Amino acid sequence: MSKPRIVHLMDDTTTGGVTRVVAHICNSQRLAKQAHHEIRIIPKNAADVPVIDADLIVSHLTVSWRGLAGMIALRAKHPNISLIHVEHSYTQSFTALNVNKRERFFSLLRTAYSLFDTVVGVSRAQYSWLVTRDLVASERSCVIRSAVDLSGFAALEAPKGPCRTFGAIGRLEPQKGFDTLIMAFSQCQDPDARLRIFGRGGQQEELERMSQIDQRITLEGHAPDPVRAMSEVQAVLLPSRWEAYGLVAQEALAARRRTLVAPVDGLCDQLEDGAHRVARNTVADWTRAIEASLSADLSNIPDSQARLADRVAGVFERNWEGLIARSLHSEMSVAA
Amino acid sequence: MYRATIVVPAFNVAATLGATLASLKEQTYQDFEVIIVDDGSTDETKQVAAQFLDDRRFYYVHQANRGLSGARNRGIAEAAGEFIGFCDADDLWHPDKLRRHIRHLDSKPNVGVSYSGSQMIDAEGRLLSVRQSPRLRGVKPAHILKRNPIGNGSAAVIRRAVFDDIAYVHHGAFNAFSYFDETFRQSEDIECWLRIALLTDWEFEGIRGLLTYYRVAGDGLSAKIERQLESWENVMAKHRSLHPAFFARHEPAARAYQLRYLARRAISNGEGKAARAYLKRAWAESREPLWAEPIKSTVTTLAAQAASLFKLAPVAQKALVKASMPTLRQRSQAPFHPTSKGDHYE
Repeated sequence: MSKPRIVHLMDDTTTGGVTRVVAHICNSQRLAKQAHHEIRIIPKNAADVPVIDADLIVSHLTVSWRGLAGMIALRAKHPNISLIHVEHSYTQSFTALNVNKRERFFSLLRTAYSLFDTVVGVSRAQYSWLVTRDLVASERSCVIRSAVDLSGFAALEAPKGPCRTFGAIGRLEPQKGFDTLIMAFSQCQDPDARLRIFGRGGQQEELERMSQIDQRITLEGHAPDPVRAMSEVQAVLLPSRWEAYGLVAQEALAARRRTLVAPVDGLCDQLEDGAHRVARNTVADWTRAIEASLSADLSNIPDSQARLADRVAGVFERNWEGLIARSLHSEMSVAA
Repeated sequence: MYRATIVVPAFNVAATLGATLASLKEQTYQDFEVIIVDDGSTDETKQVAAQFLDDRRFYYVHQANRGLSGARNRGIAEAAGEFIGFCDADDLWHPDKLRRHIRHLDSKPNVGVSYSGSQMIDAEGRLLSVRQSPRLRGVKPAHILKRNPIGNGSAAVIRRAVFDDIAYVHHGAFNAFSYFDETFRQSEDIECWLRIALLTDWEFEGIRGLLTYYRVAGDGLSAKIERQLESWENVMAKHRSLHPAFFARHEPAARAYQLRYLARRAISNGEGKAARAYLKRAWAESREPLWAEPIKSTVTTLAAQAASLFKLAPVAQKALVKASMPTLRQRSQAPFHPTSKGDHYE
């Protein structure tokens, strides 16, 4: 009997982080023993989807009212196989800052999630929100913390000396909160401190304007090689306003960089892996946290951070293996 | 394990604490505990509280003075209930208040903060013709910023989960969670509500009725009014980076409402000139209060004029009483000084 076929659905606007997580699933040797994985790109918010020849479909699409018809079509055209949805986007803080009509938004999520056999949260914090808000039943959901291949980051040399070079890595969008960071950093006094911001996006001009007040802050543009960007900084700062998981934090932790995160959504998951928590996501608290880092001992790496790359990779693959096995099995029992 | 916890911050409130605790004891819904947080009182507060401790649901904790926020934080830390209400130690609760809020929160799982309107009382507990009847439904973060519908520190019953979502460890403290920001001695309410509105997806919703008796005191120093503006500005400065677009859009109008409120307080102190100055600044910030609440804005403007013409300003006072505002009347009566109270927005 040939291996089961698993199709991962993405739309053409899917962000880089999600693409890398899906690629990580598809490239996994361990998961390849269990099933054949492939990626299918469909147009964003398509009202209809083709019939897909697969034994299991995993949606990495973004839920929206306009895309709901497409999701209903997906369910209707594949009545006999399991459908899994991975929620890469929505979180409590996203809702707080972006959603005006919350009851309506929750109705959308409940409706969309009800079409799937299993909904996967990408961080414990996000999963807890999904379940406490009753957006999905706990027996039809699980959490699989996202992961990418961290071996390149783990191979980097650990930073040495006083902590002076701070990095911020990600899209230049309000979500990432780099504006907060620039304001906070410019209030730190140390003349040797540097803040290097890697990425591109819609906020580029605004951030450039803001960073002109302080020569120590530089915008480095898009970093095609994230490992290289990581090698150039000693500490990584994540002041995101919302964040389902925060892969950059995992990469920084694997590279044994000092990692500071805002207490927001999935970034709270990073604390158990050795990240440092900034009390609140405000300018003053970030200034304080950066100043505390200036005198931090970089060689003192938390145990939880030390062998992160090995630990994480195994867990992610094992979790997906289990979910896929359960989903394929339940499909057979329905067919029988 | 009790369903609800009522936190009573108490600082030198021997005169009023008894009535507050009695109003809690008489609630129609009885599955609650009361945590009296004595915030370093130097009067008979402890003795008054002791009279209630026979009831095993009443707890008394004492701490060195940390201010209203610190007392509330201690109360939340000690609380066992799924719902947490606050009643300042000079205010009273309507006998049915807790039951109605719990019914509300039980029936609306997305509502995190349940509040109701308030009836003002004077130092002797007599009803004033003044009430807070805030917006109850469809409350968005912009409403919290501009009009603070919760109104005062004794009006809300809040899910424990809401506080868990905004908890943080203050840089000076070890392991103790903060919920209200202890660096603020004024505007601490609006600071916390804004954080709930901007950092969590919990809804704010009010229920009908005037379920809190809120004691107003003529606490009239103009320096205090100016300090209040300063602390309000600090709250804005602190939160602006959370959501710059939101503040860019709503902050001018919010400041106009705040300045109008300060003008009304200045009027009730008989300081017509200061009131007019506040109003001038208000309308320069935004004209929204003029078209959104034309009657109140007009009455305030007229009262400010009148108060600046007549030193004692009886006309202004009367107009303000009609337009729902605590007045000077309490001033002539027995001195009554509530401890650092949160803002009350009329």
